[in-house]
Amino acid sequence: MKYRIFVKGLWENNAVFKQVLGMCPVLAVTTSAINGIAMGVASTVVLVCSNMVVSLIKNIIPSKVRIPTYIVVIAAFVTIIDLLMNAYFHDIHKVLGLFVPLIVVNCMILGRAESFASKNNLSNSIMDGLGVGIGFTMALFLLGSIREILGNGSIFNFYILSENFEPAVIMILPPGAFITLGFLLFLVNYIDDIGKHKE
Amino acid sequence: MNKVSFKMVVILTAVAFIASLLISLVYSTTKDRIEDEYRKEFLRGLVSVFPPFDNEPDSEKKNINDTVVYIAKKSDKVIAYAVKSLSKKGYGGSIEVLVGVDILGDITGIEILKHAETPGLGNKIEKVFFKDAFKGLNILDKIAVKKDGGIIDEFSGATITPRAVCEAVEKGLIFISTNVLEPR
Repeated sequence: MKYRIFVKGLWENNAVFKQVLGMCPVLAVTTSAINGIAMGVASTVVLVCSNMVVSLIKNIIPSKVRIPTYIVVIAAFVTIIDLLMNAYFHDIHKVLGLFVPLIVVNCMILGRAESFASKNNLSNSIMDGLGVGIGFTMALFLLGSIREILGNGSIFNFYILSENFEPAVIMILPPGAFITLGFLLFLVNYIDDIGKHKE
Repeated sequence: MNKVSFKMVVILTAVAFIASLLISLVYSTTKDRIEDEYRKEFLRGLVSVFPPFDNEPDSEKKNINDTVVYIAKKSDKVIAYAVKSLSKKGYGGSIEVLVGVDILGDITGIEILKHAETPGLGNKIEKVFFKDAFKGLNILDKIAVKKDGGIIDEFSGATITPRAVCEAVEKGLIFISTNVLEPR
């Protein structure tokens, strides 16, 4: 049962490839693999924490003020993560700085609080947060690696392609994000389709 | 006020109160460390623009014409000065550069402190080879990109960014040469 929830969040309901949620960080920060992972991990931590708290307080929150309450909870965790990152991972914070506060408005996180954590118990909510968060991180990492390899000829700052390779700078620029995401969406849905036909 | 809306107010207030309590707790524990990180980062910048020094330039500074001048000393003798210099002509907003100049008026190094240039294009100004191109230049050199008749290499696809850096470096150099150094 727990395993099902995890896989559902990770793949079947993948926030990026299936629900196409949280597009701002997906498109904006994935200029390199490491940025993608850092953003994904930060979002995952916020997601798991907010799912946890929302699931714990779901019974005492009047339904009319549930959304403002969730936003307060999420914003508190984002601010805490922002401060911790600034203190302990200063270099990554310098790159992602602007986008970390924007995790608050990542609709993926509010979406999970509203549609899952507010209806399920604590352990299921943590599992769901982990699944969706890791799925999100995976998608950001994939997008970031492809863009970094094609646009800069490197991965994790190691240059893997030969000197003769002329990087396509457009892949690092915003259009590259849309192009890569488009192809990845196509690929994921294609793989899914094949799976369905076999059944 | 009926009972239901009273409950709403109380709960939302309580949640906000607990949240702000937590944030203030984390803030007070990380505050010193964050300040320390910013200071270390700036000190790293100073180390890279100055020749080897043995004082603490970020505390040994002077205010000249409303600009903070950082002073590097070796065995108590002044060897170089540095100022922060800003150009507003960057592609993604203003670019802040730290310019180090020795007592003879030659640039000892530059460091990009703040910029919002395009990753992969404009942000190549952070690379060592670009920053090193400014070393040893003085006020008699034409600090500008080659396209403008200067001596600094621009990158293909990005001229605006190096041009802005040149402007900032030249401004800093002129400031130190005219206000800080003694006229030669």
